[in-house]
Amino acid sequence: MQGRIFSIQRMSTEDGPGIRTTVFMKGCSLACTWCHNPESISALPQAQWIGSRCIGCRTCMEVCPHNALELTPRGMAIDRGLCEGCGRCANECPSTAMEILGEDRSLDELVGEVEKDRAYFENSGGGVTISGGEPALQTAFTASFLQACQGKNLHTALDTCGMCKPAALEQILPHANLVLFDVKFADNTLHKKFTGAPNKGILDNLLAINTFMERDNTPQQLWIRTPLIPDATATGENILNIGRFLASHLGQAFSRWELCAFNNLCRDKYTRLGQVWDFADTPLMARDELESLESVAKSSGVDPAIVFATGATRTED
Amino acid sequence: MAGSNTQLKHHPVKEPKGLSPRITWLRDYYFQGANRAWNNEFTAWSTGTPWDEIYDELTFYIVPETYAFLQTFCSSFLQAARNVPLCGEFWDLSLPERRAWFVREVVAKLLPAEILPGDLIAGGRFNIQTSLCLDQKETKVRKALVQGKKGARAQMKWFHDHGYGNAGATSGHLIPGYEDLLKRGWKGVHDDLASRLEALGPDKQDSPGACQLKAMITASTMPRDLAARYAALAREMEAKEPDSARKEELARMAQNLDHTPWHPPRDFWEAIQALWITHMLVMSDENYPGPGVSFGRIDQYLLPYWEASLAQGMDREWGKEILKCFWIHANTAYDALIRTGGNGGITAGYGQLITLSGMGADGQDLTNDLTYLLLEVIDEMSPILEPKPNVRLHANTPDALYDTIIDMIAESQGAPFLLNFDERSMAGMMREAAKAGRQDLINASNVWQYAPVGCLENTMAGNDRSGTVDINLNLLKAVEFALTGGADLVPYKDTIMGKAYPIDFGGLPTGDPTEFTVFEEFFAAFAKQTRHIIKKAMDLYETSESIRAEFSPTPYLSCLVKGCAEKALDITQGGAELSLVTIEAVTFATTVDSLLAVQYLVFDEKLCTMADLIQALKDNWEGHDILAARAKFKAPKYGRDDDKADAMARKVMDLWTEETWKHKTRSTGRQARPGMLSWNYWVGDGYILPASPDGRPKGQFLSNAICPTNGADINGPTSNANSVGKAMGGRVSGKGDYGNYLNSLPNGASHTITFNPSILADPDHREKFKAYLKGYVQNGGTALQINMLDAGMLRDAQKNPADYRHLLVRITGYNAYFTSIGKELQNEVIARLSHEGL
Repeated sequence: MQGRIFSIQRMSTEDGPGIRTTVFMKGCSLACTWCHNPESISALPQAQWIGSRCIGCRTCMEVCPHNALELTPRGMAIDRGLCEGCGRCANECPSTAMEILGEDRSLDELVGEVEKDRAYFENSGGGVTISGGEPALQTAFTASFLQACQGKNLHTALDTCGMCKPAALEQILPHANLVLFDVKFADNTLHKKFTGAPNKGILDNLLAINTFMERDNTPQQLWIRTPLIPDATATGENILNIGRFLASHLGQAFSRWELCAFNNLCRDKYTRLGQVWDFADTPLMARDELESLESVAKSSGVDPAIVFATGATRTED
Repeated sequence: MAGSNTQLKHHPVKEPKGLSPRITWLRDYYFQGANRAWNNEFTAWSTGTPWDEIYDELTFYIVPETYAFLQTFCSSFLQAARNVPLCGEFWDLSLPERRAWFVREVVAKLLPAEILPGDLIAGGRFNIQTSLCLDQKETKVRKALVQGKKGARAQMKWFHDHGYGNAGATSGHLIPGYEDLLKRGWKGVHDDLASRLEALGPDKQDSPGACQLKAMITASTMPRDLAARYAALAREMEAKEPDSARKEELARMAQNLDHTPWHPPRDFWEAIQALWITHMLVMSDENYPGPGVSFGRIDQYLLPYWEASLAQGMDREWGKEILKCFWIHANTAYDALIRTGGNGGITAGYGQLITLSGMGADGQDLTNDLTYLLLEVIDEMSPILEPKPNVRLHANTPDALYDTIIDMIAESQGAPFLLNFDERSMAGMMREAAKAGRQDLINASNVWQYAPVGCLENTMAGNDRSGTVDINLNLLKAVEFALTGGADLVPYKDTIMGKAYPIDFGGLPTGDPTEFTVFEEFFAAFAKQTRHIIKKAMDLYETSESIRAEFSPTPYLSCLVKGCAEKALDITQGGAELSLVTIEAVTFATTVDSLLAVQYLVFDEKLCTMADLIQALKDNWEGHDILAARAKFKAPKYGRDDDKADAMARKVMDLWTEETWKHKTRSTGRQARPGMLSWNYWVGDGYILPASPDGRPKGQFLSNAICPTNGADINGPTSNANSVGKAMGGRVSGKGDYGNYLNSLPNGASHTITFNPSILADPDHREKFKAYLKGYVQNGGTALQINMLDAGMLRDAQKNPADYRHLLVRITGYNAYFTSIGKELQNEVIARLSHEGL
């Protein structure tokens, strides 16, 4: 069995408890305008060029069967219409400047990879997180992978945007110890505007997870995560409404609500993929903005002790 | 000597804190360097004979930076020397007796004695260069052996210039039996030696053994005589002292010195006083300041004195005050060359190591009140170089100790100590016991008493000289020979004069590699060449080792090392119970990656022929950009937790370590043992060794100790540590050298990892970092040096991105390789780091 991934992050400290290895699956059911992993959205392999590694040998151009590459004075121009993501360029590039995002890996190989850090997981209460993209889209693989990890006594976490078929969750949840669930907007119109999809199915899935937890005692833990995006999610009203929703519908079912401050380090990723990012010039949040949203969240009805604001903020000179 | 990563090392400006006016003054005074009125600069002392020699250059053969100055040192110390009036029978004495008498005469009678204002510990000047005390005939013989056409110096120089590395019989690098000395006092040592001499019987009183014992007896009175001198001085100063508190301190110091170190100390202050005088005289005896003369587990053996003083009502802070004076004294070792360079002679080159915490019998933890007290002293005195601390961690290290050291790491942006890992280290020592046949001296019941010396070199304490920096061998030379069938790949140059040597056929004829059809043939050639260069390194070492054994006894140090009195044999002649010498392999990862590249480029992927590759190396990769990039970026690398690549590392490790155990020194019978330290050679020798198949051009750094090559570590700190642990042997249930742990390197290996300070940003992340260290105990190597990257390093990374490909910039929720993000964003991250002091 194979899954399509675009990255593996060892010693991840931000994707659940303890030290974790996070497997990022390719393909997403949402297309959030602020997405920090733009390479995760398409399910297809994509070529990218990292200029700092390029030695200008033009090998990639010579081997490309579709004439999709052109080294220009401003860098490598990749004709996305012609490129089929076959990977010849990345294979032949001597300096790893050309990369293919999206690689099919076998289940066994991937389990072997994540097992390497068992010692660090065990000492930290960490484990494996499957993230994306949206891992639930590759339902069978995600379920089997988490099951295999649990079979090897590794703690498992599913990091999901919540936009998937309920049947997919039904298959995956029995093998997840923890779910990291994104709640971006309480308001459906805004959700649709910024993510391309309505939030009803997502919130229904969230409640379904709660039912699972009560009925089957799996997953054992639920964390909610809300990205704080300036001029999008990061408004007092939105945070208050999300908090109210969580408090009234989930009660004590979740054990952590993380407010993750916007960061702009993914700017280059968009450039490399030949895409324009709406948030390219958006600065980091100011510390008092973050703190004020944190206090809104803490007074929304959610137990303040489980509300955490994370991420770097702007420094004022 | 520390394997430091100069590219990644930035000394953060941490400030000392909580110092009393006394210590503030002493510390500030120390850092005035050459502007001080008092210092501990080398003084030179001669027998006054026209043939006299002072400077023992053999001890500097492992420091290539000094090669150009050896002759200058020889003559300038002679010129600056004062003559010592000799006792009547001097020339009738044996060499060790002459030397013992001469050093005692200088130290106890001729060197000025001073006590600095407020100082609580006596023992100021100890940096001396004393006559070798040879007669005319001995001088002539030695001179020919050292400076003759085929002498030790010429051989050493040739070896170094041809890229093999270096070797020389070097001082220090051991833990003298300080614990035992504190229990017995010097009188105990003296009386034991006297009875051994008597036991030889009346007709053997002129035998070499008797002469050695007589020399040691003379040496054993040196600390007594020196203490008496300082006691008298303290009394003189007391008489003139107007301040009553200081008067009382001086009176107490005089009393301390009346009693100890001749008699065993009775409390903490006396113990520190006795320890200091005993220690500084080792450096006098060896004529070498602080060369890895290490203290061992001071939080263990000083504990009884500490507890006794606390019981007698000593204030905890007063105990720290005494220790801080001791700290200042240790740093005056650097005064030896105080006028050299712009920094008061302070280099990172000395290593008077102290060991804290660690395992006891049956795996229990030995952290105690004194451990924490010493960590407080380190924290309050830092930044300061000596003594250098190592903290021992193991499966049962308490969380409280982790919390303390992690706080210290967080504050200093890089640990003010090295971490030593017990299980892996002890596995190495157990391997040594088996390989050297010394299970009587190292076994399951005592291996936990090991401690590191110098930087991180593991040894036993009080009976072990393992020559931990004496032989430094570039394994990469064997790759070069495998590529040429035994010749230099390119002409080497005299590193001083710049003149080219002819191509040398110093390797073995392993055949024309262009005719090899499978990689195994190449590896077999490499294996033969490896065995060959190990032998060459041992042969070179023999030249200086045999000269030292014949001409440079250290009878005072011999008093402090178990085995020397028992065998009536000087430590330089193999007197120590555990008498070994360490081959430190340099260029490990560069060698492994080079083999992997040959396999990948020539045999597996057939991207070039062997002839193409050899030509590219001869051209220093110039004009072979694509092949160079493939070698560098596409070929597999050690350090990524890639099992196939790490298997090559394991194979190379097995090969060279097993070969090392086959050797012993001929003159002194010292068993060779393996280690990986590589001090700064990986930088300097990068300019000597030609281009290597891993894509490295000549002039680029080689790999450091057991670390992956620069830029190879792209999977983060856990994979890096896993690779290191695997290379050393890993863990095998039920089949380990110690528990499940295997370790091919009894000496241990230097490992440096760089972290982003955000790993310590909050309590939650500190817990994760703690878990990482606990994971390292299980999966990693023997010793870890931690760097927390700072803005300065990131700026360097902007200028030299190729060297920093592995640097992860961690912003919450998002990780990025620093060098792969745009310049503008890099600047933003740097600005953020500088502002937040993350």
